[in-house]
Formats: sequence, structure tokens, C-alpha cells
Amino acid sequence: MIELEIQILSDRREGLLVELGRTVVANGFTLLRQRLAQDDRGAWLTMIVRGPPERQLALEEELATHSRVRSFECSLFEGGAAPPPASGPAVARAPIAAAPATFAAPASSVPPAGPDVRQVESMLPQIAKDYPRITPWLLTLQRTVAAESREASLLLVGRRTGAWVFKRDYAMGAKLGLADAIKRIGVPALRALATIEQHGEQLHIQNSPLCSPNGHSGCKFFSGYLEGLLGASIEPQNVFVRSLYCRSTGAVECILEISH
Amino acid sequence: MHAHQNYNLLLVVLSYVIAVLGSFTALQLAVGIPNAQTSRQRWMSVLAAGAVMGVGAIWAMHFIAMLACDTGMAVTYNLPRTALSALIAFGACSLGLAVAGSAIFSWSKLVVAGVCMGLGVAGMHYLGMAAMMMGADLSYDVSLVAVSVVIAIVASIAALWLAFNLRGPLQMLGSALVMGVAVCGMHYTGMAAVIFEDNGGQVPANFASGLRGNNLGMSIFVVAVAMLLIVLAVNYLRQQRRSQLSI
Repeated sequence: MIELEIQILSDRREGLLVELGRTVVANGFTLLRQRLAQDDRGAWLTMIVRGPPERQLALEEELATHSRVRSFECSLFEGGAAPPPASGPAVARAPIAAAPATFAAPASSVPPAGPDVRQVESMLPQIAKDYPRITPWLLTLQRTVAAESREASLLLVGRRTGAWVFKRDYAMGAKLGLADAIKRIGVPALRALATIEQHGEQLHIQNSPLCSPNGHSGCKFFSGYLEGLLGASIEPQNVFVRSLYCRSTGAVECILEISH
Repeated sequence: MHAHQNYNLLLVVLSYVIAVLGSFTALQLAVGIPNAQTSRQRWMSVLAAGAVMGVGAIWAMHFIAMLACDTGMAVTYNLPRTALSALIAFGACSLGLAVAGSAIFSWSKLVVAGVCMGLGVAGMHYLGMAAMMMGADLSYDVSLVAVSVVIAIVASIAALWLAFNLRGPLQMLGSALVMGVAVCGMHYTGMAAVIFEDNGGQVPANFASGLRGNNLGMSIFVVAVAMLLIVLAVNYLRQQRRSQLSI
């Protein structure tokens, strides 16, 4: 379990804690303490939350893109001191994945699984330019980021790419149920990147170019890609992708399971 | 004595082309409904798509098809009823598209939306027929009327399913082609149901002040050009948006 300190600036305070508290709980975190204050810039909400480290990125994404959130900061909470006063630097509202940058800077506070946001951000324009022939860029990213950041970085770049592909190619039409979204959006989009087969809510990726035997991918890019792609196309928006088998750990093919 | 209907094949084909063009334009606008950020945006999308579908696809198709039909008698159209027929098509299509484009796609919503659209097509047609002023009395084969309504509803459901549930080229083109079948299938089945009984040349008192074919031709030309411009504008804006999307 990790404890995070999250500081949020919003236009108004009414219902802020309730709305953001729901997001915290929905991501498997528990709200330990909170403080709500008002100044001339708006309402400042500081929350100390505790939850599973693997859900940290998802929580940050949801908070950073929440309609009530104008600016957002998140850092590991160290020590049991009371939450600091609810004021702080007003950073521009973070795009989906930029939020972790605020805590990725000081080396001492880098969480073990945090993405290398700088590397990812510098690579994303190239990925957009060369899409769908992006495997070389992803392999480069795998090699260049530190081992402890590799999975989170691949997950992040996958989410950003998936969300971008959705907006570019699949945004027109009704919100779909999960099964329809996988069939109509997930499968054709992923086929642009790899050879796949659909088996219900599982996708089998054959000869994944990112998951060579003894590699380190763990299918994180494809998991993030599907989460970004499908998260925007269905209601409710929480999509979770789990890697059941991966070639990099000796399986014949990679199998991803998609769920709400 | 029954008057026979003879059709100008070129205008019949043109009526289908107009129905498809109108449906294509309307569905391009309609698939943006679920992406609206505000209720104002949403209603603007609904009304724009409803107007193009109702007036562009259905109303314009109907009157091109009427121009294609020669009964051997002079025909004019009662203006208020003609205008009301366009309004019915607009209202029913707007309602149907609003239902189809709201929240998560489901079969129950699809059926409700398809019934709205199908009844809009049929309502427009039969009111448009009631607007006809000529030296004949009109009667209908009820069973064929029922078939025409069923065609309109079923094909509308199919078109909406394609438009809102699919993605890619089939989504837009396929749905427009099927909606064209809905509109034209309903219309020509409805025309097969009508019997023009010659009443000895007794025309209504306001026959001379009714809309004539050349007026309708000009109106339809304006509608068709407007639809083409909308298609071009929508495609241009979407291309712009795609190129500006940041990853």
C-alpha cells in the first residue's frame, strides 16, 4: 500500500469532496484525511489517500481529467503529519499523463513503478507521426528507460496512444457496451499494430513484436493502448486490461483480458 | 376511371440519390450527437441532423419522386400541407436521432428511434400526398400502406444501427444507402398503394394557387446544394480537427 498526497484546485467547493472522493474510492483507495479551503483562485482540496500502488496511475489519470479539477498535484505522502495548508503552486491542468511529472522530478520520491514521463512525452510526437508503424519507437523506449520505469512508461505511452487513436478514428458514434466496444473498436484498432484474435473479452496477440522471449514488456503497451482506446468509448469509462500470458515470460502467445 | 402512374426512370434514380445524399449528410451530423459537451451543442446537433434528414433526405426525395410520377393530370400542391409535411419529417427525425444518440447504445433505444424515424418518413409521405391538388380523388390499399410503414421502420432501424453501432467506412456509407432504401422503399410502396380516381376534372378551388412542379424543382435544387455544402463543411472541419489532435 502507498499513501499519496493529492492537491486539487477547483472553481467551486460545493460537492467537490463528494465527487472526487467517489473517484478515489472507485480506484481502490481509502481517503485518510482531507482539507478544503477557499482562496481568491478557487477551492483547494488536499487529500491523503491510501491504496494499491498499481492503481496509482489510474487514479491520477482520472483525477487529472476530472471535469471539476482545474489543477492537480500528486506526490507520495511521507510521514503521518497532518496535511499541509491548502495552498500551493497553481500548475496548469495536467493532460492525462502529465500529472506524474510533478512527483517524478526528485529522485528520492520517485515511486518504483512510476513512468519516465520526460522520455514518454518526447517520444509521443514521433509515435503520432509514424503510427501505426511504431514498433521501433516502442522498442527504443523499452531499452532507454530505467528498468524500474519500464512497465509504467509503456503503459503510459499505450494509454496516450490509445486515447489519441480513439479520438482520431473512432469517436463518431454512440457509446457502446464493453463487448461491442471490443469488437467494433478494440479489435480493428489493435489489428493495425499486431496480429490478433478475439475470444470474447480476451484478445490473443500472436508474435507480439514487443514481447520477445526473455524480454521485459509484460504486454504493458498493449494493455495501456486498449485502456486508452476503450475507456473513452464505453460507459462507465473504467476499463481494466490484465495480461494473462505474455511471450516475454515464456507463453506461446500474449493474452489480454479486458473488463470493466 | 383509374389514372395510371408512369415514372421517369432518371428522376426515380435521382430520388434515391437525393435520399442517400441527405441521409449521409444527416448521419454525419448525427454521429456527433454523443460527443456533444453541452446540452446546447447536443440540441444543435440533433436539430441540424433532424433538419437535414427530414427536409433533405425525406421531403426532397418525396417531391423528386412525385415529379417522376406522371398520372396524365395537372397537379399542384397545397402549400400549408406541404410545409407541414416537411415539419413532421423534421420533428420525427430529430426525435429519433436524439434517442438513438443518447448515452449507451441499446436495442430498445434503437427500436424507439427507428419507429420515430419510420413514422416520420411515412407521415411526411401521406401528408405530402394529401397536399396534392388534381382532378382526381385518392384512395389507398390499406395492406400496402401498412407494408410501406413497416419498410420505413425496419430500414430506419437498420440504418441507425449501422450509423451508431459501427465504426469506419461502412458506418457512414452503409447507413446512408440503407436509409435511402427506407425512404424510397416506403415512398414507392406507398405510391403502389394509392389509387387515383378521375373525378371528371373537378379540381379544388385553390388549385391555381398551389405549388407547381417548377417551384418544387427549384426548392429541391436549393436543398440538394445546401446538403452538399454541409457535407463538404463537416468533412473539412473533421479533417482539421483530426490534424490538430495532439497525442
